[in-house]
Amino acid sequence: MNVERPKIALFLCECSTNISNFIDLPAVADWAESTKDFCFVEVSNLLCSPDGKKHFAEKLMEHKPDGIIVAACSPKLHEKTFQDIAEEVGINMSRVQMANIRENVSWVTKDKKKATEKAKAMIKAALQRVILAEDLEKVTMEAIPDVLIIGGGIAGIEAALTASKAGRKVYLVEKDVSLGGSVIKTEEVAPNMECSPCLLAPRLSEIRDDPNITVLASSEITDVLGFYGNFLVKVRKKARYVEESCIGCEACFDVCPVTVKSEFHLGLGNRKAIYALFPGSVPASAVIDSDLCKHFIDNSCDACVPACPFGSINFDEKDEELEINVGALVVATGSKDGDVSNFAELGYKTIKNVYTLPEFERLASSNGPFGGKIQLRNGEQPLSIAVIHCAGSLREDGIPYCSGTCCVDAIKVGELVRKQIPAAKVFNVHNDLVFVGPKENAFYRKQVKDGTQFIKCSDLKTIQIIEKGDKIRIDGKGFKSIKVDMVILSTGLEPASGTNELADMLNIDLGKDGFFKADHDLLNETGSVLEGVYVAGCSAGPCNVATSVTRARSAVGDIISKLIPGREIELEILTSVIDEEKCGACKLCISVCPYKAISFDEEKNISIVTEAICRGCGTCVASCPSGAAKAKHFTDDQIYAEIGGLLYE
Amino acid sequence: MNNFEPKIVAFTCNWCSYAGADKAGMMKLKYSADVKLIRVMCTGRVDTQFVMTAFREGADGVMILGCHPGDCHYRTGNVKALKRYKLLKKTLVQFGINDKRLKLDWVAAGEAELFQKVVNEMAETVKELGPLHLTGNVEQGGK
Repeated sequence: MNVERPKIALFLCECSTNISNFIDLPAVADWAESTKDFCFVEVSNLLCSPDGKKHFAEKLMEHKPDGIIVAACSPKLHEKTFQDIAEEVGINMSRVQMANIRENVSWVTKDKKKATEKAKAMIKAALQRVILAEDLEKVTMEAIPDVLIIGGGIAGIEAALTASKAGRKVYLVEKDVSLGGSVIKTEEVAPNMECSPCLLAPRLSEIRDDPNITVLASSEITDVLGFYGNFLVKVRKKARYVEESCIGCEACFDVCPVTVKSEFHLGLGNRKAIYALFPGSVPASAVIDSDLCKHFIDNSCDACVPACPFGSINFDEKDEELEINVGALVVATGSKDGDVSNFAELGYKTIKNVYTLPEFERLASSNGPFGGKIQLRNGEQPLSIAVIHCAGSLREDGIPYCSGTCCVDAIKVGELVRKQIPAAKVFNVHNDLVFVGPKENAFYRKQVKDGTQFIKCSDLKTIQIIEKGDKIRIDGKGFKSIKVDMVILSTGLEPASGTNELADMLNIDLGKDGFFKADHDLLNETGSVLEGVYVAGCSAGPCNVATSVTRARSAVGDIISKLIPGREIELEILTSVIDEEKCGACKLCISVCPYKAISFDEEKNISIVTEAICRGCGTCVASCPSGAAKAKHFTDDQIYAEIGGLLYE
Repeated sequence: MNNFEPKIVAFTCNWCSYAGADKAGMMKLKYSADVKLIRVMCTGRVDTQFVMTAFREGADGVMILGCHPGDCHYRTGNVKALKRYKLLKKTLVQFGINDKRLKLDWVAAGEAELFQKVVNEMAETVKELGPLHLTGNVEQGGK
């Protein structure tokens, strides 16, 4: 049988003089001709220029080669350029092989003779490899343009509204009983001192009235299956025992006999067993805490039932398991306030008028336990207040990093206190001060001018907070002790609880500080390591309100620019595949795949790659003991051939 | 003077080390022409057989260059490469191959100088070791 040799064309690019000055290209061409391996050999100049590309296309049409070697620059620069031209003239992209004789040879080799020899070896390797090329196909897939957002704080709210404005269906999943996150627990946002409830109220109403947005409060993600463009998200919606007909009139609150500390008020105020977080919440309906409600404990109370003007109480409600299909997910689970109870010297929980900054925010909030009145435990107003910066932060036994957002909130204390108690003295005890941008810095200077005393402590770990009768004394290195009525510990931000579990469920990574890791810190801050899963707000790392909102919009912006109704998304071309015949069912590939792209077909007893998830790293191929897994365009045979070519003499 | 010109094959991942080599090129950082690169998408793709094949086909040294741990474009491919490398280093000795002939290192896309340094050091090391003479099993391709 007469097997025809494949026709291979070799283009040698001079790249102006970038290659030709350092490699003897005519000698390479002569050598190539002498090997009889090529149907066409040519030294040309600037193949990537418009004229060069035209020439390249003409030569391909003329010679109709089975393989094309472009000995020129890095494939990372122009492989696609030449592949696209090949495709245009009807030659599969896989048939274009670059030999990087510029970055890898001409620019880095002193000796022209050695450079010329190295170029030949690389061309030989490219030749051996391209002969084995198999066609690659562009694969597209229908995608669901809808979005599921995890977390209903300001980032999740903004993400939902942005996606809805693009006409997408949005599912907003919130663990708590209503939306608002941490921002709704504050009164004003520094440095502009914007009223927080006023920022959120119109957005909450907008969400409530938006038919595109489904709010799933009291709900948690239980599983995430599928892939970019086609996720299946399982959500558990807990029974609230109050139907949606409830408008939040609060008539039931008065009659409920059970009173407990309110989580919303961080334990500073109370709530009933039937409760809502604040008037105007979304959802508006109240919720019954079945762990506390006497109906559920011993069936001894139904007081809320007759009190409700809408007949909304329904003790028979059950948890619901929902399955939702979306194309993309946005994680906006926020952060958790740093815990300072381990630091005995700070007096938190042991000295009665020592508060954390988030607790102070509750005291100062109009939706707080005392209607916004800043007061001591005995109800009197404090006349002197000390704020301790970096409490529990910048230390290995606490939060090791700087959250970068607490300083501006810590100096806000003076601003809020003086509004209510003009004569009050405010001290901010700090080591470093971190302010971002001119507005925050101007706010700091205003506080200095308005009377806040900034006291520099040379080592915040030396701070001792000691109860002295009705007063609290603060000692520390580098400053004279002060006595005050109230101490506020400025705590940093930690990853939200449940972050690890969620990361596992989504199969995305966490950074070293425990927040969700960005795909790229500079270029893609709101992308995660997995396509189609985004991170916004503080879940991507501590940030202020403006950045939270910007991240949310950025994430959704990326989603709506890629998942467009009616347009299919392009999948990774260089995926792995598993040969059914060769698979030995050892499942090693499943254990090494970083994307969980491989599943096991119990019926056929083989592993199967879901190509829509596979990113083409080839780790499964390297681990497959039976040679069943194959990396497209980087097959074992191609790489063996390349090795052989490179070492050929 | 030692005139031996070793043959060294370096498997480099597309995202970090190959990009680092490209940057070395752009910066015109000269390095030994004895080192020749094979681009793979991820060091996780580097089968131990690739290394053995390279030795069998005449390489005097083999390098595996990838992203720093934590920076892998595919999350953890480099960590898998490291595991295989550690095992392979031990196996090489049993095949009579000095384990200095195999080197894994991390080179980021921006680390052009580091790329230059690690490949030149490897070229020196292998030059000192001299040509690889295979015996027995490896030479016969394990057959």
